[in-house]
Amino acid sequence: MFKKLIFFLVLALGIQPLLAQNKTLTGVVTDATDGSPLPGVNILVQGSTVGTQTDFDGNYTIEASSGDVLVFSFIGMKSQSITVGASNTINVSMEGDAEQLGEVVVTALGIKRQAKALTYSQQSVQSDELTKTRDPNFMNSIAGKAAGVEIKKSTSGAGGSTQIVLRGNKSLSGDSSPLFVIDGIPMANNKGSQPGMWGGTDGGDGLSAINPDDIASISILKGSNAAVLYGSQGANGVVLITTKQGVSGKTTVTFNSGYTFEHFLELPDLQFKYGAIGSAKESWSTTPGDYQDNYVEEFFQTGHNFNNTLTVSGGNDKTTAYFSYGNTTASGITPENKYQKNNFTFKQSTKMFNDKVTITSNVIMAIEETKNRLPSGYYLNPLTGLYMFPRNRNFYDFKNNYQVFNEDRNLYAQNWFVSDHHQSNPYWIINKQPRTDNSKRIIGSLNIAYDITEELAFQVRGNYDYAVKEYEQQHAATSNSTNVHPKGAWDYRKYDDKLAYTDAILSYNTDLSEAISFNGVLGGSYQKTIYGDGVSVNTGTDGLLYPNQYLFQNLPNNVQVQSTYGGSVIKQGVFANVQLGYKEMLFLDLAGRNDWASTLALTGNDSYFYPSVGVTAIVSDMFTLPESISFGKLRASYTQVGNEVPFNRINPQNSISVNGGVNRNTVKPFFDAKPEIITSWEFGTDWRFFQNRLAFDFTYYNIISNDQFIEIPLLQSESEGGFTTKFINAGEVTNKGVEITLSATPVRTDNVEWVTAFNFTKNVNEIVDLGPDEDKEINLGSSEGYTSKLKKGGSFNDIYVRKFVRDEQGRIVFDAGKPTRTPLAEYVGNLDPEWSLGWNNNLSYKRFNLGVQINGKFGGKVFSQTESMLDGAGVSQRSADARDAGGVTVNGVDKTSGNAITTVGAETWYRAIGDRNGVGEAYVYDRTNIRLSQLSLGYNIDVDKLGLPIKSATLSFIGNNLFFISKEAPFDPELAMSTSRNSQGLDNFNLPSTGTYGFNLKVTF
Amino acid sequence: MKKLIYLITMVFAFSACTKDFEETNTNPYQLSGESLQEDFNHVGAFYPSMLSQIFGNQIDHNLTNVTFSQHLATPTPFVGGVNNTTFYIRWNGYWAREYDNVMAPADQVIEIAKEGGYTVFVEWANLIKIISMSRVTTYYGPIIYTNYGSTENALYDDEETLYTAFFADLDRIIAEFKANTDYAGLKNFDASYDGDVSKWARYANSLRLQLAMRISKVAPAMAKAEGEKALADSAGLIESNDDNFNISLYGAKFHPAQIAFEWGDTRMSATMESILIGYKDARIEKFFSPVEDMSLVSDHPDWPYKGIRNGAEIVAKDDRLGFSTLNPDFNEPAKVTKRKVMSADEVHFLKAEAALREWAGSGGAAMAKTHYEAGVRASFALWGAGGVEDYLADNTSLPIDYNDPVAPGTVNDFTNQITNTVAWDESASNEVKLEKIITQKWIAAYTNEMEAWVDYRRTGYPKLPPVYQNSSNSDWGVVPEGESIKRMPFVQTEREGNAAGVADATQKLGGPDEINTRLWWDTGAPNF
Repeated sequence: MFKKLIFFLVLALGIQPLLAQNKTLTGVVTDATDGSPLPGVNILVQGSTVGTQTDFDGNYTIEASSGDVLVFSFIGMKSQSITVGASNTINVSMEGDAEQLGEVVVTALGIKRQAKALTYSQQSVQSDELTKTRDPNFMNSIAGKAAGVEIKKSTSGAGGSTQIVLRGNKSLSGDSSPLFVIDGIPMANNKGSQPGMWGGTDGGDGLSAINPDDIASISILKGSNAAVLYGSQGANGVVLITTKQGVSGKTTVTFNSGYTFEHFLELPDLQFKYGAIGSAKESWSTTPGDYQDNYVEEFFQTGHNFNNTLTVSGGNDKTTAYFSYGNTTASGITPENKYQKNNFTFKQSTKMFNDKVTITSNVIMAIEETKNRLPSGYYLNPLTGLYMFPRNRNFYDFKNNYQVFNEDRNLYAQNWFVSDHHQSNPYWIINKQPRTDNSKRIIGSLNIAYDITEELAFQVRGNYDYAVKEYEQQHAATSNSTNVHPKGAWDYRKYDDKLAYTDAILSYNTDLSEAISFNGVLGGSYQKTIYGDGVSVNTGTDGLLYPNQYLFQNLPNNVQVQSTYGGSVIKQGVFANVQLGYKEMLFLDLAGRNDWASTLALTGNDSYFYPSVGVTAIVSDMFTLPESISFGKLRASYTQVGNEVPFNRINPQNSISVNGGVNRNTVKPFFDAKPEIITSWEFGTDWRFFQNRLAFDFTYYNIISNDQFIEIPLLQSESEGGFTTKFINAGEVTNKGVEITLSATPVRTDNVEWVTAFNFTKNVNEIVDLGPDEDKEINLGSSEGYTSKLKKGGSFNDIYVRKFVRDEQGRIVFDAGKPTRTPLAEYVGNLDPEWSLGWNNNLSYKRFNLGVQINGKFGGKVFSQTESMLDGAGVSQRSADARDAGGVTVNGVDKTSGNAITTVGAETWYRAIGDRNGVGEAYVYDRTNIRLSQLSLGYNIDVDKLGLPIKSATLSFIGNNLFFISKEAPFDPELAMSTSRNSQGLDNFNLPSTGTYGFNLKVTF
Repeated sequence: MKKLIYLITMVFAFSACTKDFEETNTNPYQLSGESLQEDFNHVGAFYPSMLSQIFGNQIDHNLTNVTFSQHLATPTPFVGGVNNTTFYIRWNGYWAREYDNVMAPADQVIEIAKEGGYTVFVEWANLIKIISMSRVTTYYGPIIYTNYGSTENALYDDEETLYTAFFADLDRIIAEFKANTDYAGLKNFDASYDGDVSKWARYANSLRLQLAMRISKVAPAMAKAEGEKALADSAGLIESNDDNFNISLYGAKFHPAQIAFEWGDTRMSATMESILIGYKDARIEKFFSPVEDMSLVSDHPDWPYKGIRNGAEIVAKDDRLGFSTLNPDFNEPAKVTKRKVMSADEVHFLKAEAALREWAGSGGAAMAKTHYEAGVRASFALWGAGGVEDYLADNTSLPIDYNDPVAPGTVNDFTNQITNTVAWDESASNEVKLEKIITQKWIAAYTNEMEAWVDYRRTGYPKLPPVYQNSSNSDWGVVPEGESIKRMPFVQTEREGNAAGVADATQKLGGPDEINTRLWWDTGAPNF
């Protein structure tokens, strides 16, 4: 019945059979199970574009020559290839394809499982989706392609970090970042420092070290249910990266080359009509003038990103090898911003001892160098001076002469119209305060797998991940005196990140009886990480002995050179996992793990166990369902995961202060600490209809985080014997959510295929309890108008701002001609979207392939300190419009007289509500936005006609973040100033959002 | 297969091995108590850190008591000019600085010193606690001193209890120091007196005199008893600049210089301009820098210094950056290596006032002139200024009126209120004499303004001009026009987290928790 329906659809779309050839073949295609005719079966002459489809009664006619191979394909059926012989009739009986549903996926620890047996939600993204738009950080490409995954990209440009949160923030003390795993082995992802309201620059993260071209697929284990085998570090979910490997057979050489250019999508709406009064730094004149209006746009340039990867792979029956070299050279949209990355990967696998032992080794090397990654926030940010420059002045005087010779000092000094902590000459910052971020990383791993018997296998793995990171900013003498000494300043950090991992896993797969299958895993792991072990110096305003010399010998004696240490952690675990299957339709999954964590040393709680249990029922195999239902599954799982406390919290010690004395530790030792416990319930169901052409996947989860590790600043009236801070285990955070994936193939003919998928995510976070103090609040970043804090009954990322004081009629209360604001910041909403929807489409027509990804976020609030500052400085277009209109129309009332106020002077109004400390309510925007986030159009070149030794070649046009279909905020709400948990949803002179466009050529030899 | 079992066993064996855990969870760049044992650093190394926190930074010091005492003033209109300097409280950080960086470590260090039997160290830490808390109470009034260290919400001490406790603790501290003048243990940790315990005793005794004088109006009997005890004590008083109590900057830059030279956020005050120029005070060039733009000082070109009025109406920061900043020597860590907490001049002025109050040991009213002039001489000597004898003899010069050359019209201008000259007049009333003493004490207090704000509130001297812009309102309490701020409100964290404790403290304060409520010793009554 439904086969016929599909046939109708095909006809309705008017797809016509093609071309004619020298011999006419006919036949009937039937279903092997019941002998019924199959309509709509694709028949293709292999190696050509000639094809047809069966009609309503399963009949077909096609032109072909003897020796041609006909390929019969139909969804949910095994494809068949039949060589045309002498006969003019070929009847085919097609069999159902169990393989398609028996898809094998890689789960935690690299264990392979049948997808249908999984008791939890796991979503995969294939390599072509990752490299489609050539984002240097591959995780940015995942946005919208998997449900339950929230991705925010740093505003800092190429090489910047990414914030990834799976199913909401779960921990009050950490950043809820998932674990990244390469081929089963955890990788270090130590994020550099992040900016806040006052300034700073994104320090990048560990993900950019991976060459996206090396990735075969990414699986996202969203819940701890999926990740229990990784122990505490998997508590926030796991991103599994499977890398490509050599395939035995002929050597394949692939060259993938992409070029994109990058342009800002939008700038703040600025006015260039009114200048400043006198020497003021704000542009509050009410007399219009004819002023320069191009210098802001001129500051930004077109960025370029040139990306090349060469891979060589091949091998024989015993050994396969894969080698790749990737190079990314990029320049950003701000002057002097450059990014360079070189990746080398070598992976080889050898089978020995009658193919019983497989040894695989993998070496990944990445060298990254970034120059002038742009900061956010007030300080040392070129955008503050650029945007707020008084309109009546000549910008080009300062652009062309950002430095002028200072005779008194015999050096070139900064030339800027004002001495102000917020602003500097933008070109001075770019040229004379250069920042470099360098990272060198090597990851080496070895995997020995031994198939002892058919059922029993043993595997040992080891991995060493080592990175050297170096950050430097050289501030030339006469840089902004708030942060930089008159002789200049040197900010230098260099540190190592190390991760050593080893595990051993014994697996046993057998059938206990005809009906019952058994998959068992038993193993142990050991991991030691050392982060941030290095040295740092930041002279700030303490000075240098000799100006503009940046070396250790030039430090005055009041500057402390510091040994830095981010932390070291040993985690050991033993784990076991058993999966019992009944007739391939009912599965029970049991897992348990015991962890030993060094961060709980001295507490007696450093060993802790947690269990996981899950069940899956393949409903479609258990019951006879309507023909339209190809597959149906119900699943449920329950997990507990322990999350150990951060490094060095139990018994911190004293530190040497700049003055040479020792600062007594005043954090109270916490010898009773326990691990945090995250308990997850997950229920889900997967359905596929119409021979898998429609698939539906639904998951509901409920995650309860208990015994949170909470920092309590001690009041001076409760110092507990001379302490200022203590930690407690308390609190409860819940995340409840729904993830829905709906995918369909509405059209599939021999020439046209359209695959579409929706990913829907909704997460509700609640801070149920924050410990014994009912009124406790945890501040996640605040400055002036904006505060993000946690309190009981609230949620992660609740935003609080100062509001207008209004009377009962809703009128704004004025005092002495100025609007009044609430004395404290009040709740205005949450920064997280209420729900998200990603819509991914792939349309192929003959040799063309069109990919369209639309992402939408709905609900949530964001805050712009930039707009507030621009208003206060009188440079926003709004402020000019108000001056044009002779004031701002308001619905106000005077506090003392009670008289209505309907108009306020533009300057009075915007200085009161804007600036650094205004009325935040005016600068809160809806986060809702819908964008065309990816567009790619590829053409598969007909290489046969070229006569070159090329197997295939694809040329594509690619576009990323092309435009907004809908957006309220005056900036891109999905870009993050900080990719840590702080200062979320905040725009304070962030780099504008950019779109990229370009071409990619992939050639396989 | 046996090998396999062996391997699995090994995995389990190493998994259960946790002996490296404690070391792994320790920051190798932190110093534990055990590793500090060498050279007794486990006791002594914490003292420099505690002492270095006695002075606050920009917001809890420079923009608070320094501006209230009118020594320095800011050219910057922070938060639209509505801030501490115009009596609307934005910053209230001194409380947490002192408790978190002095009181908290001191309590722990006292325990360590007690355990080891280091009795002089115990009392040294106790003295540091009094230095800190006797300053903090000048901001807030009732504070947590005797109950500090509690696990429950500790009650604040009312000020009478507080000062009684200070004096009792000083008795014990001075006795311990006097009994151990040959103790050499402090030497490695004491940048102030190089480990000379007798000098610490002398400072502690001088501190007693200072605290006694603070309460001279509100509790005259206790003040007199404690003041006379100080005057008579064999520990002696700081009467020579060699004995001054300074806190080392430990190589760091004098913080107000950073505020002045790097951030451009502080300048000479208009009051300093008025008084120093009016009195022809040679210390002015030691304190401040002359202006470069002579048009700023057209009213007194021979004295090219220009200050900013405290609580001025300010449009743009740039307008007054060219006014007199600090003497550039302050910007050189090599030249200015310490900050004074108590100097000989202050002790002489205390003795001069004690003489007026006829405290035994002061020599009585007849000796007031001697002490007064000794104070002025000690201050001139300390700053290396010349012409002190002419200065002391000057019975005509008066402070000058102030003109703000940048502000339009009479904005920020003021007329000098001081009608008293420098020269001593034996025939004058005690009130006139006191004004001379406190006005000179105010000048000499430069760089440690804490007691100058106390004296102004206690005695009304010097006659400081009111703020030009008074932004006080009901949020923090209204300061009537022409008057000055009287205290700092209790801190927000305590107000929210210890509401009952703050309510009790407010009861003890004797008025609302606002900036116009007088502290205990600020009686508002006549000085004599």
